[in-house]
Amino acid sequence: MNYPKGVFRADRRTFLKASGVGLALPILDAFLPKGVRAAQERIPQRLVCICTTLGLHAPFLFPESGGSAFEMTPYLKILDSHRGDFTLINGISHPDQSGADGHSSSMTWLTAARHPGLAGFRNSISIDQWLASKIGLETRFPSLQLSTDGSSQSYTSSGIMIPGEQSPSRMFTKLFLEGTVEAKEAQIQKLREGKSIMDTVREETRQFQNQIGKEDRKKLEEYLHSVREMEQRLSSAEAWVHKPKPKVDAEVPQDIKESKDLIGQMQLLFELIPLALQTDSTRLITVMVQGRNDVPPIPGVSIDHHNLSHHGQDSQKIEQLRLIEEAQIHAFDKLLAALNRKQEGASRLLDSTTVFFGSNLGNANSHDTKNIPLLLAGGRFRHGQHLILDRDKNTPFCNLFVQIAQQMGHELDQFGSSSGSGVQGLEYRST
Amino acid sequence: MALLPHPSMILVRMILLFVVVRLVFSMTLVAAPPTGVAPFLGENCKQCHNATDMAGGLDIDALDWAIESQENRQRWIRIHDRVVRGEMPPESTLKDSELGPIAQTLRNSLHSEISERQDRDGRTSFRRLNRREFENSLHDLLGIDTPLQHLLPEDGRASGYDTVSEGLRISGLQLEKYLEVIELALDDCVRLTEAPEVFQKRLRYHDEKGVRENLDKAEGVVDPVSGEKHRQLFRQTEDAIVFISHGYSPDDLRQFSPPANGLYRIRASAYAVDTRQETVALKVYSSDWKTSRMLRYFELREGTPRIVEFTTRLTTNDHLRFTGYGIGIDSQGKSVWNVETVKDWKVPGMALEWVEIDGPLVEQWPPESVLRVFGDSSVRKLKQRGSWTKNGHVAYALEPENPKSESHDALYRFAQRAFRRPIQEGEADRFIALAHAELDSGRSYEQAMRVALRSILISPKFLMLEETPGKLDDYALASRLSYCFWSSPPDDELLDLAKSGKLSEADVLRAQVDRLLDSPRSQEFIVSFAGQWLDLFQIDATTPDAKLYPEYDDLLRDSMVAETQSFLRELLQKNLPIDAIIDSDFVMIDRRLAEHYGLLDEFHNSDSNLYGEEIRRVQLPQGSPRGGIMTHASVLKVTANGTVTSPVLRGAWILRRLIGRPPSPPPPVNSIEPDTRGATTIREQLSKHRDSETCNRCHREIDPPGFALESFDVIGGFRETYRSVGEGTPPTYKLHGRDIWEYKLGKPVDPSGQTSDGIAFSNIETYRSILLRDQAQISRSLVEQFATYATGAAISFADREQVDRIVADVQASGGGIRTLVHRVVASKLFTNK
Repeated sequence: MNYPKGVFRADRRTFLKASGVGLALPILDAFLPKGVRAAQERIPQRLVCICTTLGLHAPFLFPESGGSAFEMTPYLKILDSHRGDFTLINGISHPDQSGADGHSSSMTWLTAARHPGLAGFRNSISIDQWLASKIGLETRFPSLQLSTDGSSQSYTSSGIMIPGEQSPSRMFTKLFLEGTVEAKEAQIQKLREGKSIMDTVREETRQFQNQIGKEDRKKLEEYLHSVREMEQRLSSAEAWVHKPKPKVDAEVPQDIKESKDLIGQMQLLFELIPLALQTDSTRLITVMVQGRNDVPPIPGVSIDHHNLSHHGQDSQKIEQLRLIEEAQIHAFDKLLAALNRKQEGASRLLDSTTVFFGSNLGNANSHDTKNIPLLLAGGRFRHGQHLILDRDKNTPFCNLFVQIAQQMGHELDQFGSSSGSGVQGLEYRST
Repeated sequence: MALLPHPSMILVRMILLFVVVRLVFSMTLVAAPPTGVAPFLGENCKQCHNATDMAGGLDIDALDWAIESQENRQRWIRIHDRVVRGEMPPESTLKDSELGPIAQTLRNSLHSEISERQDRDGRTSFRRLNRREFENSLHDLLGIDTPLQHLLPEDGRASGYDTVSEGLRISGLQLEKYLEVIELALDDCVRLTEAPEVFQKRLRYHDEKGVRENLDKAEGVVDPVSGEKHRQLFRQTEDAIVFISHGYSPDDLRQFSPPANGLYRIRASAYAVDTRQETVALKVYSSDWKTSRMLRYFELREGTPRIVEFTTRLTTNDHLRFTGYGIGIDSQGKSVWNVETVKDWKVPGMALEWVEIDGPLVEQWPPESVLRVFGDSSVRKLKQRGSWTKNGHVAYALEPENPKSESHDALYRFAQRAFRRPIQEGEADRFIALAHAELDSGRSYEQAMRVALRSILISPKFLMLEETPGKLDDYALASRLSYCFWSSPPDDELLDLAKSGKLSEADVLRAQVDRLLDSPRSQEFIVSFAGQWLDLFQIDATTPDAKLYPEYDDLLRDSMVAETQSFLRELLQKNLPIDAIIDSDFVMIDRRLAEHYGLLDEFHNSDSNLYGEEIRRVQLPQGSPRGGIMTHASVLKVTANGTVTSPVLRGAWILRRLIGRPPSPPPPVNSIEPDTRGATTIREQLSKHRDSETCNRCHREIDPPGFALESFDVIGGFRETYRSVGEGTPPTYKLHGRDIWEYKLGKPVDPSGQTSDGIAFSNIETYRSILLRDQAQISRSLVEQFATYATGAAISFADREQVDRIVADVQASGGGIRTLVHRVVASKLFTNK
């Protein structure tokens, strides 16, 4: 349906509101409290998405009672000092995630594409990349992908995974260290060459395109589109290469040598997050925490992580699994503490950073993708609750994506499999 | 304020919205299916598939006949298939004569819509090279062997294969990564340093510093720091160093450090001592001090030295490690740490006499590929050696007398090779102009050429397989053949045949398929086709539980994969009947698998000239549960999760991969919670599932093959009881001579069941014979899998006639798997776009 975009949409909302139709409405800047609106102009809004792909053992995470008076479970106890800053969401997931194998849903955590890996599957853009396309070139890096294994949660509009950076020291160098004069010159030379190469292949493709049929033309158009994307990357890189990188009060991190040390890697990657956000080097970060078949060096753990997640109700395995997951939540606790400590004007970095930590698996023992664990912290949300939704008919995870995009100030009505523009019970704080 | 329109405007917009919505709906919904189809559906399907019940998510009234859209087509095809196969309506009493509206009318409409489409555009659209093919293509073009594909984003897999056009997307990110990888590849191609020094020596572990220190110190001397007594971890004989301890030994070969990246030939001589009839082997690793990679594994005989030889790629960061397998534990279960002295101690050991290393193996310097890419007359030897690089001092320069004409010729030649066909006059001009512009701006010949080479290697003519609708021209056919069987660009022979226009002649094509398959390079096909068809690429997706499966290790994993690959090769090489996929009277195994399968006697009787790690054909004894692909340990492993098996997952896998009747994706209901405590079996848990009519409709199709395979555990071992970590009795058999304490034997396995059409089976053997009643379906499934991989597009509704024809031809000719491959290649599926 080709309506003049924007105009009509904005009107529809006001219309719906005026007519009293009870729908969850997207929040528009015009409706935001004055204080928030003013603050937003100065402080950028950020998003951090962290996925641990082997689940979190639900009985240790979810309390019995909902609302703000929830009791502390073993995992929540670790986050005790942030009780007022997070919401535990219970009863949310992407629909139709049964896929090629039990772990295929780790490809679709931020995209919601259905039946990952099965016939006809095509991945789609992830929410962080959608946001990156809106934020554009305002930051040196439109988005960052951190990862313990090289894969990531971020997918381009053509459904291609953006590789994740595994090395904290390399990422730190990219973010904060100036290259030598020669290195910079070489980089500028490379960018210039890149542009002439793109010019050449674009012309090449145009000539080629005249001789072919419809389906093939689509493929070539995708290629040409990629050439344009590449040119934009080159121009933005060129614009930034001359600007000095921000200085931070931190040393280059020492990469963890032992590839099995999932927790150590996770912590180092987490330490980069506040630095990257506060220097406004990027506003979007995704983190992939993936252990798979290694035994992490945690006292008391002797079986590999993936195997433990298939505990088969074996109580010894569940105890070991708990040790790994607690260590992960401790790392998350440190991240929240760092975001809490950093000040930006009168507010905390956490107040402008929405961060969620969860998993694509609700129950890793049976590869169940429903009722995923999800801890949401920071941003403009009112926290301090255990939000129990319908555990049989889950709220689409994408509803939360839409709500997050809106509270960051982006106009978005629908994303992936969203059925509405918000999660019931998740509200904004007053200022 | 701007956001609030005047109230009257709201009304106008409401009306407008109403009108537009009506219009849009009426346009899409009026398209009605061909005559007769709607009444048939109304009568037979609407009872459940209506707006309220929505059985299987389908509402007949909301069905849209606009088969231009892929989604609608898929839905109608599914309706056709379910009805024609008699799966719908449930408990159908419809006679064939009553199926006309679906079996003919609907079929014909779908068929003609899709074949028109295919005639116009081709079955497949331009497909780009996947990363394996991209790497091989760069290797061929630039004469390098650097691993590159792991640096590129993982390729999408559509219809199960990374060769299918639909899944091979491209994006700005992809281009960026291509450019990075091409740059690395060019770095490796342009070798202008001095010829690397060659290492060529026979080495002995007697001379290893670590070994000497260990041996030269007396046993029993107490270390002042740790307080531990010194142990000798080796024994020195006149001819050899005998390794008698596993792990913690100084087994790094520090006398050799690769002088340059490249290919090395390694030879070694070793034998076993005091084996007690158990296996002793030599394992060779390469290590960069951080990660260790096993290069080879050789089983040894007692007392008789075995000389082994192999080549491997090493980098300057690597070193070699030689170590023993099956050594260091005596008949009492003691290791070197539990005995007072190793003198006269009877223990299995690996005696290593010597190691010879030769490399890097270089034929010509500078490498021929530099001349081929940059032009014969472009390389000049420097009078004085130049600056230092990580590969040594620069000794040559690329400085042709006439850079412009040299780059013109070199780029013309290169584009022709890169595009896999002759290029037209002027087709390379843009690349040449780019190089000339760089030269004009004062850059060197090498720099200018590299910019142009990069643009050739990132242009769509290189990245994509260029095919035009209709019959493929001989060059496109050459590329299809070589990328199918070698995952590489066509070689000279294929290109010459294309040039002479002979490649598409039936007997020439046939001979070329044989040549490609008989070449060792066809291992590329075996590995990547089996890797995806049979999920062998997923072999490491889970690690079996060490408590439940203490016998599992990397060697067994490697043997599993090798078995399935060798089996496929055997079927192709010997043109064995298609039934062999389901049942065969032989297996292709090494000693480790023979042990795993309980076939050691048969194995030892098979071919005594081979060493234990060499795979051979072993005849199965009467009553063996093995035979065919379903009982390969690899398949049984990839269809389980490391802890438990699920008949549902295995059943669905067999339906998809071997029988070619993929089940619908599972509904979003809670799956079964795996439980290893031994109190309940998976069948007991599943029976609840199957009691429900809605669940059972699909599960009666899915579960039977899985039930039959319950006789096999997560690593493909045969079992009659489940292993448990809780309840059960301790096993009475032993593992490598020691008692098993890790697991217990729990509830008994029940491998019986009945198929959806009510035929009972008692175990895998009887189930196999039921499957073999419909050999044509097994054959059809394989044709579909292979043709999808080979042609880059899934089998469409309109392709089915051709598939059936191929199946019938193969059957009529009495041919086997290779015949099937030939027929597919000769068909329009392969020879047309």
